Order: sequence, then structure tokens, then C-alpha cells
Amino acid sequence: MHKSIAALGLASILALGVSQGALAAGEKVSVITPFLAAIATGEMIEAFKAKATEYQWTVDVVDTAGDMAAFASRVEDATTSGAKAIVLVSVDPAQIQDQVDKAKAAGVPVVTIDGAKNASTVLNVTSDNYVLGETMTKFLFDQIGNKGNIVRFFYSAHPGVHQRELALDAALKANPEIKQVADHYVAVPGQVDDSRAAMDAMLLANPGDGAINAVWAAWDEPGIGANLAIEAAGRKGIVIAGIDGNPQAIDLIKACSAYIGTVRQGFGEMANIAAGELNTILAGGTAKADELYAPVELITRESLGVSCP
Amino acid sequence: MTRTNLNRFGTLIAFVLLCVGFSIAAPAAFASPANVFNLVQQMATLAIVATAATLVMTISEFDLSVGFSASLAAVICFVLFGQGYDVWLAVPAALLVGIVGGAANGVLVARFGIPSFVATLALGTILSGFAFGLSGGQSLFQSVPDGFKSLARGDVFGIPVLGFWIVAVLGVAAFVLTQTEFGRRLRAIGGNAQAARLAGLPIVRDVIVTFAVAGGLSALAGLLLASRLGSVQHTMGEPLLLPAYAAVFIGTTASPTGAPTVAGTLLGVAITGVMVNGMTIVGVEPFVQKIMTGVIILVAVLLRRVGRAK
Repeated sequence: MHKSIAALGLASILALGVSQGALAAGEKVSVITPFLAAIATGEMIEAFKAKATEYQWTVDVVDTAGDMAAFASRVEDATTSGAKAIVLVSVDPAQIQDQVDKAKAAGVPVVTIDGAKNASTVLNVTSDNYVLGETMTKFLFDQIGNKGNIVRFFYSAHPGVHQRELALDAALKANPEIKQVADHYVAVPGQVDDSRAAMDAMLLANPGDGAINAVWAAWDEPGIGANLAIEAAGRKGIVIAGIDGNPQAIDLIKACSAYIGTVRQGFGEMANIAAGELNTILAGGTAKADELYAPVELITRESLGVSCP
Repeated sequence: MTRTNLNRFGTLIAFVLLCVGFSIAAPAAFASPANVFNLVQQMATLAIVATAATLVMTISEFDLSVGFSASLAAVICFVLFGQGYDVWLAVPAALLVGIVGGAANGVLVARFGIPSFVATLALGTILSGFAFGLSGGQSLFQSVPDGFKSLARGDVFGIPVLGFWIVAVLGVAAFVLTQTEFGRRLRAIGGNAQAARLAGLPIVRDVIVTFAVAGGLSALAGLLLASRLGSVQHTMGEPLLLPAYAAVFIGTTASPTGAPTVAGTLLGVAITGVMVNGMTIVGVEPFVQKIMTGVIILVAVLLRRVGRAK
């Protein structure tokens, strides 16, 4: 038992050592997300960290891997730890309203990136998710001539992703010749593998040419998983579109795979805007608005200058 | 201090050292009243789920459905709120679902002889499906009555409301396990089920009741978690499972016999809670946090086993 005491003591000493390094730099900004495993979220956080270095902030990044209770707890920890600001990434602050209210009451400004507007936060920088969904859906439907069968990969727990799904619902209603023959609620984390497995099953359940014409992916990673399944099965005549402008998805578009389009959100730009506004806020100013949008861009074979056989 | 005392109080001493270490590392933040308040709040739902796990482990079984039950109870409650039902109807209905689900686990284990690992995983997955279906996979946070939010928020005389829940639930559980005939029967079943059967103990009934109570406690934890957050996701309870059993295992290192106890479990919950909270406050990288938490659990349990072997 002497050794277990020593082990825990060692943990404390190590924590002490690490903390000395962390506290040595400038103002501490806590960046907290439940979805660091998602490439887009990682991209936003990396861009924010790069900008924070310019401003000489110390950034603590915390990921709770989909655990919302831990997410709420870590926001509380950040509030009491003396963070100068809290940045929440890829989450609607209304899901932890009490903790966000407490941060506000403690005078700690909360900024969300790819989140949602909230009375207790000072700024949300995002893309209009409904417009993203609408843009991608219209492109995908056009590619299959506005008729045929599609499958949907979705994740309604994320409010932004749910907006994209609502755009698909509206488009399906407006295009009665397009039928949704299957759908799959994507597991996060592990979204690529999970989507590949689901697409494997969908292909088996819908054999034959024309049984599936298109894959609607609420974001790129499920689409990448679906593409793996389609390639492995050797199925032709199925196209995929997603959202986010994930570099792997863009490579697949360039490679003339089934992946034909994605709508790029300006993730880096979102993070840059958020960091710039936060710098103003920490200097005593206010953000330009309580919600700011980064530009979006449809990426296709045509826009990339790729000609496929 | 004698070797016996070290064996008995070693985990508690280690917990104190951990608190002292973090207090030195971040005196203004970690040791502040606000952070102690936070810690109590953060540990409450885990403590209740871990107590459910402790009860089931006392009879030498496992309940892998605790997190799923917590999610389903919270989802049912919020769906009922969305349909305009009052707190006084929605909360009991959600708790009842947890109890019935737990009792079903008990029937599968005690009556049909299905290993608890398999039965509770299967039933938990079914509960998870219901939670998904009822919520539509969406995060629910509308139409939540203030009365429900007050279940797990705020304080009474400076003590977090969730602290009272910890005292009430764990206090009753500890009393039942140590001071009642029912508790003694559970320990007898856990010690040697065959001998308990031959002695004429009502094993089937006791196992079903134990699982039902565990299901009810899990549902309660889910409701308190939903109250604290003000939102519900259909997977929200699942991350409670592994930390709950980790807490029970750490807690067994503080038990003279190595058997699960409510007090030991509370210590296990406190250690895991303080580890994560403290390391977050002092800015330890997330990957280091995971490694250190796992190492501490492993070292504590391994050393206990080595100590007992000697």
C-alpha cells in the first residue's frame, strides 16, 4: 500500500510540474469540446491554437469524447480555474445552460465556434447549417437528375447537423421522385468505420443497379465510410456528397471516386474570427455581433478542375 | 503507522495526498469553495450509479445496463415534459421504467440463469434502442419545468443540492447493506451462492430486488444528470458505466475483506473525480489525464491483490 500512496503522490507531483509549465505563459483560455475526434472540430481547434499563439494566450484543450456530463463538469472546472475565457467548439451551449450561466456570472466570457447563439455567450461563429444542407442537397439531387433512391447518414444530436437534415427533409418533400430507401444514425466517435459498416449492410439490402443512386452524408466522415463500402463492393452508379470540406473528401473528389461533392465550411476562418473577436473582448471591447458567419463554398470535380472518365 | 493500518487506510491517505498535491499546484482554484462545490456536483451522478454497481457486485454479479437505464429514464422524462406532463408524473414514470428494467435483468439472471454480463448487456441495448427511438436521436432541452431543474441545482445553506442526494442515497444503501438482514443475505449470496441456496435463502427474490434497486438508482442518476445539464441525449448515461465500476474496484482496495462497500465506492468516486477535476484545473494535457487515471486505477487494484496474496 506504500506504493499506491507513492503512485498517487507521483501523480500529484507530475500534475504540479505540468501546471507550472502551463501557468508560465500568458492569459489562459480553455477550449472545450465533446467532439475532438471529428476532423472538422480538430481543424477549428488547431486554427484557434495557432491564432492564440500570436496573441500569446495559453490554451488548454479538453475533449470529453461525446460525454456531455463530463463536458459540463469541465466547463465548471474552467470557470473556477481562473480561465480568462472559455471557447466551446461544435456544441450548442443550451445543452449545458446552467454551466454557461455560471461562467457568465463569474465574469468569464464564453465564445462558441460552430455552436449556437445563446443569451449567456458573447459570440457564436458558425456557418448557416441550413444553407449548408440546402446547398449540398440541391447539388446531389441535380447530379441524379432529381429522381432515384438515396440513403441518409445523420446525427441529429448535433444541432447544426440537425439543421442540415431539416434541409434534406424539405428537399425530399419538394422532390417526390426521390425516395429515401435507408438511413443510419452515425456513431460518434468512430464515425468512419461505423458508416462503412452501415453502408455495407445497405448495399446488401439494396442489391442491383439503381437500387441506391446517392448517399447523403450529413458531414464528410460518414460519406468517406460509405465510399469505402461502395469501393469494396465494386458497386457503380452511386454518388456521395457531404459537408465540411474535409481534406480526405476533397482527395476522393479529385480521385474520381463515388465522392463527388462537399460544401466547405470555413473552419479555419471561423476559428480565426473567433480568436480575433475574443482578443477584442479580452482587451475590454465587444464583439462585432453576437453571431458571425464564415463563408461557405461548394467543392466539386468541376470546381477542382478535375475531368473524370 | 502499522502495516495493517496502512493496508486499511492506504487508499484514503492516497486520496488526501492527491488533494494536497492539487491544492499546492493550484491553491486559488482547486482548494476554493467554488471548486469543492463543483466537485460534489460532478461526483453525484457517478456516486449513485456506482452505488447501483456496488449493490449488484455485492451478490457477485455485474449490471452493464446502468448507463442505458440512466439515459432512458432521462429521455422518458423529457419526452413527457414535451407533451405537457407535470414533474410529479414524469419523474415517477421514469423511475418506474428504471426499476422495471432492473427487475427484468434480475429475472433473466436469477430465474433463467443467464450470466449477468450477457443479460444486462442485452437488456441495456434494448433500453438504449428505446431511448434513441423516443428522442429521435436529438438533444432535448425544451419545455423543462423549473421544478425539475431544482432537483440537482443550487444549494441549501451553501451545500449543493446534489450533495444531499449523495448522502441520502449512499447513506441508505450503506445502512441496508451493513445493518439489515436483507444486506446480510446479499453478502451471503455474493460470498457463496451455493451455500446460501442450501441454507434456504430466497436467492431468486433477493437477486431480482437487487437488480430492480440498481435499475431504479440508475434511473435516478439519469434524472439528476438531466436536471443538472438541463438537456438530454439518448447516449448521455453510457459514459457512466466504466467510471462507476472503476470506482467500485478502487473502493475495494479500502475494504478490509476486498469486498465492495458503499464507503469504499464513495472513496473510489472521489479519487476519480478529484483526478479529472484537478488535472483539468492545472492544465494537464487530456491524453496524459487518461493515461494517469488508468495507471492509478491499475496500480491501486494490483497492489491490493499483491497485498492480499501475501
